[in-house]
Amino acid sequence: MPHEKIGHIELTFNWIYIVIAGAVILLFFFGLVVKQKQVSEERLSSEVVQIMDSILTGAGASEKTKNFIDASGLADYTLYFSCDAGISEFGIKDRPARTQDNVDPLFAPKEIHSSRIVTWSLPYNLPFKVIDFLFVIPLNVKYYLVGNDAGFINEFLNSTEGIEREFLIGLQEIQPEENQQVRIIDTDGSSILGTGVPAQLQYLDDKEVSAIVFTGKNNVDFYQKEGPAWRKMNPAAIRIISLAGERDAARYAAIFSADDQTYWCNMQKAFKRLEYLTEVYGGEEIAAAEPGGKLGSLISHYRNLPNSECRSYLEDYDANALDSLADINNKVRACQQVAESCLGLVDAAQKMKDVNDNLRIYCVPLY
Amino acid sequence: MTRKGQMQITETIAILFIFFILLLFGLLFYFRYQQAAFLEKQEEALGVRAMETTLKTLFMPELICSRGEAEPEDNCFDVLKLNSADAILLKHLDDYYFEIFSYATISVRQVYPEQKEWILYDKTKPDYTRKEPTFFVVTLRDELAAQNQPQYGFGYVAVEVYS
Repeated sequence: MPHEKIGHIELTFNWIYIVIAGAVILLFFFGLVVKQKQVSEERLSSEVVQIMDSILTGAGASEKTKNFIDASGLADYTLYFSCDAGISEFGIKDRPARTQDNVDPLFAPKEIHSSRIVTWSLPYNLPFKVIDFLFVIPLNVKYYLVGNDAGFINEFLNSTEGIEREFLIGLQEIQPEENQQVRIIDTDGSSILGTGVPAQLQYLDDKEVSAIVFTGKNNVDFYQKEGPAWRKMNPAAIRIISLAGERDAARYAAIFSADDQTYWCNMQKAFKRLEYLTEVYGGEEIAAAEPGGKLGSLISHYRNLPNSECRSYLEDYDANALDSLADINNKVRACQQVAESCLGLVDAAQKMKDVNDNLRIYCVPLY
Repeated sequence: MTRKGQMQITETIAILFIFFILLLFGLLFYFRYQQAAFLEKQEEALGVRAMETTLKTLFMPELICSRGEAEPEDNCFDVLKLNSADAILLKHLDDYYFEIFSYATISVRQVYPEQKEWILYDKTKPDYTRKEPTFFVVTLRDELAAQNQPQYGFGYVAVEVYS
């Protein structure tokens, strides 16, 4: 073979070799960059979830606090909240980072895409403090209050300063703003029932308009816009399990819940905690009305003081602390099995409250 | 193959060898850095968990000094509740309280009027590598210690978290 031809082959071989080697090296670095980008995104979303979790822990622990969170850094993300079978979950939509919780009740819309978020915690008492309810409220949701329950309307307006809310004489006054979701709160069932969705809200997407209606003795119904009409989301009325009064956490929880299912799912967490609390107050055998815990210590102490009125309020009178606490324990355990059983909890808690008020007058209260 | 060609191949192999050695150094350095950053992050996370666990303990309805429907007393534990809370926390440790405190040891130590200790929660992580202790001063209310009015003691809550 002539020398010239061998030189040509060698030269071509060298170039092919360089191109292949270069491509392999480039591919390697390209793969590294893609992998790194993926890892960074996952890390960022998990950090966001972690920070949110810390914020929610802090907000949930200290009662009656309202925090305004600047979430402009999360403007590109959509936070989602769900609750199923007593386990709630929140995270960033379409990202792997998420966190689950079966202890702390958290009431929020299904999805939040807002640059400002308010977290607000309220203590849930039945009749003693059970747990703090945490509400996560995006500032792109506007709450419209209608109805004739003036007491609650004034209380709501006073306690929710900083949150987008407005009282309306009638639904015809409603003027929704751009990029806002709407939730109508009918305080007595006089405005939503039997009416269609107001004309001013017709152009909004169905999932952006919802309503809750309080009726009867502390019942609540959840509605969602479906074209020109309201669709009731809960098959049976949901009962607010609370002793009413000011800043009723269970009532506020309904207002800030996405729907009946997430509301009840989070309420179940509170009922579970209530069961364990009755055991701290009344001992492990409180279900059988055998005193223990704090109540047991009080009973033992006052048994040695025969003339004390206290002993009667603790275990002798018809309405006594021992029976009331046992009743709460039994009712709350039943309530976790069958929702209808929860109704009895309110009466049991009221009895316990009355007994405790008397104990406070005559000796040492239970809570 | 000519001598020149052999030389070129040897040269290329040498260059590639040096290149991959450098690449290996780069990767080693990168992974070492990542490892150090990960450990630092773990340490930071443990500190945050210690603070959160203490915060949760201080506000636990099972322990706090309640005042009927009014707001509970700040940084105060009810001694009568403390006496029974450990048994209830232990009974429901795996199915409930582990979700709140994870691997941790929580104890309350009274230093006045007398030395006393309650171990409320104890779940040590098997073969843990780090432990972060946190302490917080609390008052201890005993409603039966004195006649007509509660007696207040003084102590601290010790929270240790493991990773």
